Amino acid sequence: MPSGIDFLSQGINGIVLGLLFSLIAIGFTLMLGVIGIINFAHGVLFALGAYFAFTLRNSLGFWAALIISPLLVGLIGIIIERLAVRRMYGKDALFCLLLTFGIAMSGEELIRMVWGKLGHSIAAPAFVSGSIDLGFMLYSKYRLLLAVLSALILFLVWLFLEKTSYGAIVKAGAQDSEMVAALGNNISRMRTLVFGIGSALAGVAGVIAAPLWSVRPGMGNDAIMPAFVIVVLGGIGSFWGTVIGGLAVGLSVSLAVMFFPRMSDLVMYILAAVVLLFWPRGIMGEKSILED
Amino acid sequence: MRRFLKLPFVWMFLFFLVLPYLLPLIKGYTALASEILIYAMFALGFNLLLSYTGLASFGHAAFFGIGAYAMALTQLKLSDDLWLGLLMGMVAAGFFAGIVGAIICRKRGIYFSLLTLAFSQMFFFIAFRWDEVTGGETGLTGLRRPPLRLPGLPAVSLTEPMAFYLFALAVFMVVMILIWRLVHSPFGSVLQSIKQNEVRAKYLGYNTVFYKWVSFTISGIISGLAGAMFLLQQDAVFPTYLNWTESGNVVMVTIMGGGVVNFFGPILGAGIFVILQNAIGAYTEHWLLILGLIFIAIIMVIPEGILGLFKRTKTVQQ
Repeated sequence: MPSGIDFLSQGINGIVLGLLFSLIAIGFTLMLGVIGIINFAHGVLFALGAYFAFTLRNSLGFWAALIISPLLVGLIGIIIERLAVRRMYGKDALFCLLLTFGIAMSGEELIRMVWGKLGHSIAAPAFVSGSIDLGFMLYSKYRLLLAVLSALILFLVWLFLEKTSYGAIVKAGAQDSEMVAALGNNISRMRTLVFGIGSALAGVAGVIAAPLWSVRPGMGNDAIMPAFVIVVLGGIGSFWGTVIGGLAVGLSVSLAVMFFPRMSDLVMYILAAVVLLFWPRGIMGEKSILED
Repeated sequence: MRRFLKLPFVWMFLFFLVLPYLLPLIKGYTALASEILIYAMFALGFNLLLSYTGLASFGHAAFFGIGAYAMALTQLKLSDDLWLGLLMGMVAAGFFAGIVGAIICRKRGIYFSLLTLAFSQMFFFIAFRWDEVTGGETGLTGLRRPPLRLPGLPAVSLTEPMAFYLFALAVFMVVMILIWRLVHSPFGSVLQSIKQNEVRAKYLGYNTVFYKWVSFTISGIISGLAGAMFLLQQDAVFPTYLNWTESGNVVMVTIMGGGVVNFFGPILGAGIFVILQNAIGAYTEHWLLILGLIFIAIIMVIPEGILGLFKRTKTVQQ
């Protein structure tokens, strides 16, 4: 039986992981809620963020990479939206899903061609290497930084959505885009922007996840699947649903490692299935246009 | 009799009879032809759900994989019989499709797709981690093709590629005709009405959730049969059969061929997919890049698929 300290340390791990998962999922759910598309390429954008950071960190350092990589990924997102995704608006959601599936497939292969098949481990930046004494246990400094950064970025997203007038337009666009357009807002530009922001959020998650998970071409799959589950758990397009869903996934994965280490990959899917039996639209989900 | 022997079926049968002799022209081989048939069966079963019921499953590789594992486990633990193995593949896939379907058939649209994906990942990780039964990451290998036994006839060995191909062709024809009969039956009409307008179908008194569940389960059974056949073809099964990328491939193959507008679309898609995979794979190890780009191009340029170009909509929308 694991001791109390084990529980505590795995619990903290779970929260750290949960914040990272929430950050991964927030861009994904934003695109789904506001534009109404499933972006299968989210995982590849996450991986690109990590790989850009891997390349940039040597010359520019951690902080510069943390800013520049997501911007690059956001730019790539905007290009993808302008060239391809926007042609799918108004069609069956399946087409956009398949389009981004194709993008994810070739994107992963491109990463393999540019950076090689093998993975690379990335050291945590020097100022957070090693561990910190929390009084009752030692804990990795980088994991704490990761948690703080994830929470901070999530807070910025919340500020944008709740406290800025453009955020209000974005949220309104999710409800009734025709009305928002009729009121004189440029819906087309808004969608491009949301796609760009969502991509940049995937990228920034990749940058801070890289020292924890190391970089490899298939790493996008480790991001896209939790994002799916969290959206199902928390409810489509819901900010707080995503945070709660992310923490639930992080905690359940970490705690499962103690009891059934081999089944820890499985536990988040079981969690999603159980939650759906009681909350058909996820914990914070409201009736969505996506169900039609 | 004429209702069963529609002309396209005769032409298709004749085409597939000569296919193994045509493939060498493009550096193919007989086993590749068998793969096309098996993949076409899988895609036809999937399309029953996608184009006739209007449900986009993104987790169908799970049922394909379950069928393959069930066949393998039957052979390893129970009996070497060909028919029993195929039956177990269908039963196992149908059983799990029935359970998953019961949970998710009330869901609609993207939500349905997300859930099929989540459930298929569950099966993937079970296959990946449950070493004692599924062999874990390395899968189950070294299986063999049992001989074909028919009552009153001597057993026929299927180890020769051509013998197995003809067996696969027979199974394929039966499955295709059954699906054709199904979608052109009153049951099929109800499914299409659900696709067109579920609320209206419900008001007409149809238990639409039940119909969707039956369609999901049948589709799972056919996928399981295809998986079991694929096991015979490969003599091995790996967890990657259940991977979500495989689920995505079958959706893409169905759309690419034009399954949404034509009953035979998935067969064309499967043929192109298997041949392309083989052809590009021979030139570059980065064939996924090319395949991905082809997928992107098809969705952007001809979203209704290749047969959609000919607009033969009569088979789906009567």
